[in-house]
Amino acid sequence: MSLPIPVIQALQVLTIAVAAPGVSGVIARVEARLQGRRGPRIGQPYFDLAKLCRKEALAPEGASWFFLAAPLVAVTCYLTVPLLIPVLTSYPLPLGYMGDILGGGFILSLASFVVAVAALETGSPYAQLGSSRAKTFAAITEPVVLFVVFTVALVTGTDLPYALAATVRSSAGQIVRPAHLLATAALFMVILYETGRIPVETHTGTNEFGMIEEARPFEHSGPYFALLKWGSTMKQLILFTILLNVFLVPWGLAATARPADVGLAIVALLGKAAGLGVVIAVIDNSFAKLRLFKITEFVAAAFLLSVLGVFTLYLGGG
Amino acid sequence: MTTAWLAAQHGPAVQHGPEALAAAHGVPSVFGGSANVVAVVVLLLEFGMFRQALLRDQIRLYAAQSAAVSVLAVIVAAARHVPELYVLAALSAALKVVIVPLVMRRLLRGAGDDSAGSGALSLASVGWGGGVEASGGWGGGVEASGGWGGGVEASRGWGGGAGASTLLLATAAGAFGFFAVGTLGIAGVTLPQAALSLAMAVVLVAFVLMIVRRDVVSQAVGFFSLENGVSLAALVIAAHMPLILEVAFLFDLLVAVIVFGVLIRVHHGLSESLSTAGLTRLRG
Repeated sequence: MSLPIPVIQALQVLTIAVAAPGVSGVIARVEARLQGRRGPRIGQPYFDLAKLCRKEALAPEGASWFFLAAPLVAVTCYLTVPLLIPVLTSYPLPLGYMGDILGGGFILSLASFVVAVAALETGSPYAQLGSSRAKTFAAITEPVVLFVVFTVALVTGTDLPYALAATVRSSAGQIVRPAHLLATAALFMVILYETGRIPVETHTGTNEFGMIEEARPFEHSGPYFALLKWGSTMKQLILFTILLNVFLVPWGLAATARPADVGLAIVALLGKAAGLGVVIAVIDNSFAKLRLFKITEFVAAAFLLSVLGVFTLYLGGG
Repeated sequence: MTTAWLAAQHGPAVQHGPEALAAAHGVPSVFGGSANVVAVVVLLLEFGMFRQALLRDQIRLYAAQSAAVSVLAVIVAAARHVPELYVLAALSAALKVVIVPLVMRRLLRGAGDDSAGSGALSLASVGWGGGVEASGGWGGGVEASGGWGGGVEASRGWGGGAGASTLLLATAAGAFGFFAVGTLGIAGVTLPQAALSLAMAVVLVAFVLMIVRRDVVSQAVGFFSLENGVSLAALVIAAHMPLILEVAFLFDLLVAVIVFGVLIRVHHGLSESLSTAGLTRLRG
């Protein structure tokens, strides 16, 4: 008895969509416990989303249709990416061939671009500041991602995420390879930036001048705001999945289409994501937020790691 | 390549996963890979020293780097059966992890000034030490420390761009090291070639560090870490070198420490600062 492939494909998207707010909840909970607080329950993000969905949606005066369309487009993008990456299975699913790592990256940046444009539509200084900053720093993180992709391409000869995950599983020599470790570390630093975690941004902050990602949906409200929040948690889980299932620990994925294996893969992914969430919560609690113009240094460090990864492979033969 | 991989995937192998197709060519062995990783750590710590503004932390990073080199010596000794290297590792650990940092810290305490000078290319003052090793390199009081002779220091770069430019310069120097070793085609017997490239990169980045920094302690640390790069290269090319020679090199380092110690004392006594920027005014 095995599940039809399209069902597994749908399950990949569903897992990301349903579990994403929960991962944020786990991080918030662990962070609170580390600070000696009791913290919100893990399901709190779901309740927040439900509450927002019941509220009235308002648009600023003068904003065009794009302002309201942006959250839908962004969420659509986030729902597309799980089709391309190994979420549950170690074997590529049919739609996984639609795009490689770069393709996934493009879709993620499209989502972020659409949200930034919607923030510009509003005319609100905070939202505009946020989108301007997000795009400024994204221009520096993009090269890092590119170099990580180059590393993957040099290691596997393709840039399909499934191929890298298989390569990492293939031997211990692949894991201790410096290029692999450097690319993984660089990607982790990019993820810290992209998900707006310390040392780049305070995640749970209210109004403050250091805001980047959090400032962009300022003018959205009601269900649209819920979509944006849900989208950002999905983006977080997608990036976690790429790091975990492609680079860091590509084990525990289903090798067959049997329901038990797929179910186990879901549990494994959630467990791994929660583990990564704990690590991120610890980082959140151990570092101060960088001042805005120090973020370039943080990204420069990530860039250095990824460039060194390519050097050791391409010039050093490591 | 992509199409070939896809074509292979569409076969009956889909259900078995692409493990069989994982690129197997050019994979270093586990020993080679871990040796390379330690060499990469040495290089990253060099970059950490490059960015670190607090002299105390810079010395700490130097000790960590020396420890990494000793660990690599132990790895080579164990994997390649060169028992002399255990002795060398122990000696170099004692000297470079314990004694040299101790001496430097004592000198620093005498000088009573803890923040590194700005660079010729206006090194941003607070750095992310090393990037990976969760650095606590957040010097709080760096801005507060004054007492740098001369107005040269007015251009202490706070802009991330200026700091990034020196980092890019160092990265380019490191890339040149990789490129040079690749062109020369030297192959070590005990370690993979990437380790030699990394050693060369460490030496070149140490050079850039010494050029960019404008204070005696940083320059001394740069010089000592350069020696770490050289011992790394020696491990790659000539692990079977007679022990007496290796030890002689180590004692060379001791001489350098004494010379730098005297230099720091004399310089601090003369100019009341660790910065070498004031030296231009002492002429004539």
